[in-house]
Amino acid sequence: MKGALTIYRRELAGLFVAPLAWILLTIALTLSGWLFVTMLKETGGDIVAATRFVGGQGITYWAVMIFLPPLLTMRMISEESKNGLLEFLLTSPVSDTAVVVGKFLAALSFMGLFWSSNLIYAGALTGLGSPPDWPPVLGGYLGALLVSGLFCSIGLFASSVTSTPILAAFGSMVGSLLILLLPNLVGLVDWPWLTEEIAAVDVMSHFHRSFLVGVLDTKVVVFFLAGTLLFLFLASRAVEAKRWR
Amino acid sequence: MGTTFALRTALDGARSLSPASLTVTLPRVITASHLSRRFGPVVAVDDLSFEIEKGEVVGFLGPNGAGKTTTLRILAGFLPATSGSASIAGHDVLTDSLEVRRHIGYLAETVPLYAEHRVDEMLEFQGRLHGLSRAERKRRIPEVLERVGVLDRRRQLVGHLSRGLRQRVGLATALLPDPEVLILDEPTSGLDPLQRIGVRKLIEDLGAERTVLVSSHILPEIEAVCPRVIILNQGRLAADGTHDELVRTLGHASFVRLELTGAVPPGSLAKLAALDGVDDVTENAGGFDLRCDSDLRDAVGAVVQREGWPVRELSWKQATLEELFARIALQLDETHTEAPA
Repeated sequence: MKGALTIYRRELAGLFVAPLAWILLTIALTLSGWLFVTMLKETGGDIVAATRFVGGQGITYWAVMIFLPPLLTMRMISEESKNGLLEFLLTSPVSDTAVVVGKFLAALSFMGLFWSSNLIYAGALTGLGSPPDWPPVLGGYLGALLVSGLFCSIGLFASSVTSTPILAAFGSMVGSLLILLLPNLVGLVDWPWLTEEIAAVDVMSHFHRSFLVGVLDTKVVVFFLAGTLLFLFLASRAVEAKRWR
Repeated sequence: MGTTFALRTALDGARSLSPASLTVTLPRVITASHLSRRFGPVVAVDDLSFEIEKGEVVGFLGPNGAGKTTTLRILAGFLPATSGSASIAGHDVLTDSLEVRRHIGYLAETVPLYAEHRVDEMLEFQGRLHGLSRAERKRRIPEVLERVGVLDRRRQLVGHLSRGLRQRVGLATALLPDPEVLILDEPTSGLDPLQRIGVRKLIEDLGAERTVLVSSHILPEIEAVCPRVIILNQGRLAADGTHDELVRTLGHASFVRLELTGAVPPGSLAKLAALDGVDDVTENAGGFDLRCDSDLRDAVGAVVQREGWPVRELSWKQATLEELFARIALQLDETHTEAPA
């Protein structure tokens, strides 16, 4: 795991010395801040509604969720596999899994930093004397980390199976979107058994019903962790498979 | 089939004479036995076996696509072999890969470095990957940078370095964990002649203290730094030995040239062919080429004197490794005849 930590530190540093991270962070934070203020004005100062909106209720939240992780992870494996850096890492005394996990944690940390803006808004409001409802804010943050983790792992997997970053980003966006829209998609067909099964992987309503009301449902947490682990496992297998090709 | 078989049989004879086989007390650091690697229908490495002893500097030579990079990647634990096995410092490259990777410094041909980091950051990362302590990193990093002559560039972005400097930084990266075995894939490719000399000198120095395996498709590079050469062709071992051994055993091209003024005296060909040590004699351009393994000028001179032939030239043309390499690479060797399967 020491190897994963080393990779993690390098990846995080790599993210922040490149302009992409700063550009993404600037755009996304500006947008989210603007939405938060607009929401506050629209609702006539309803703090709870505004924090809920930027913390998962609004469609912009999910738009960011779909775009940011793929953009962060798209280059992580595909590009390194092309320019030989993956060969460097895979001939270093670290395991394939450590490489994938290190990269994943770096992307997740970036997302954690990004979503912490919601904590800052809540903190600022508390400082101004009108504290928001903290459990949903904290629950929302944890939920954001879990969903980001799932999407980052999908992004890494996509990055590990293609050698073109843009293709990886596109693939993981489509994949993430499909997962989000799965319940709506099965609504199109009239198979009750399928609808029931799919309801179990309804990410958005899990999120709305659990984290956003400040309730930690173990089932939901396990659902996200399991999904994340599955895609991380697939990504590290795909990295290993590169050795055979 | 024919050529490799014939060459290898010839080599087996040579190796039993080689000084390397006399120093059996030295432990074998790299062992490859019957390595094969396929990429789909393409056989990149085909039943390759060799051994390298501690402290040897060995050159991997072969035309492009001969399987050099694939072999080095197998040894470095990046690619698994389709069949066969290899070990470094007693650890199997497939089953004990992490341990192998702790013992080697591998520099791929592309010199992979993080362009967005500074030189010392790159080395810092490498040090951490290899589990060097903070104190060790602090001591070793300036040391290896000094060694390869880029200490003054340590705060420069890797992406801003020239090809030659990148190569040096790559070497520093490979050297940082003080590996027992250095595996360098085409370390001089893309360098200008002056930089080549620099890198060559560096490899020579490094070879004095550790086992080095260098690949190149440029013969003079290998000849200059590696006492022992392994020649690959189409994934197979074409030759393996020191420069002199190779030239001697594979030196079908060595001959004594005798040129006479005026017409060739009748019966001279038979007289020359009867000499001890002459394999065969061909007459061409008003003279003779006497194929032989050793310098027979004295014997030929004696015949000439005895017969009173007017001589224009009497010389010993020794095969060079370059000719040998070209023969192997171009498959010019007369022994190369595809045996029916």
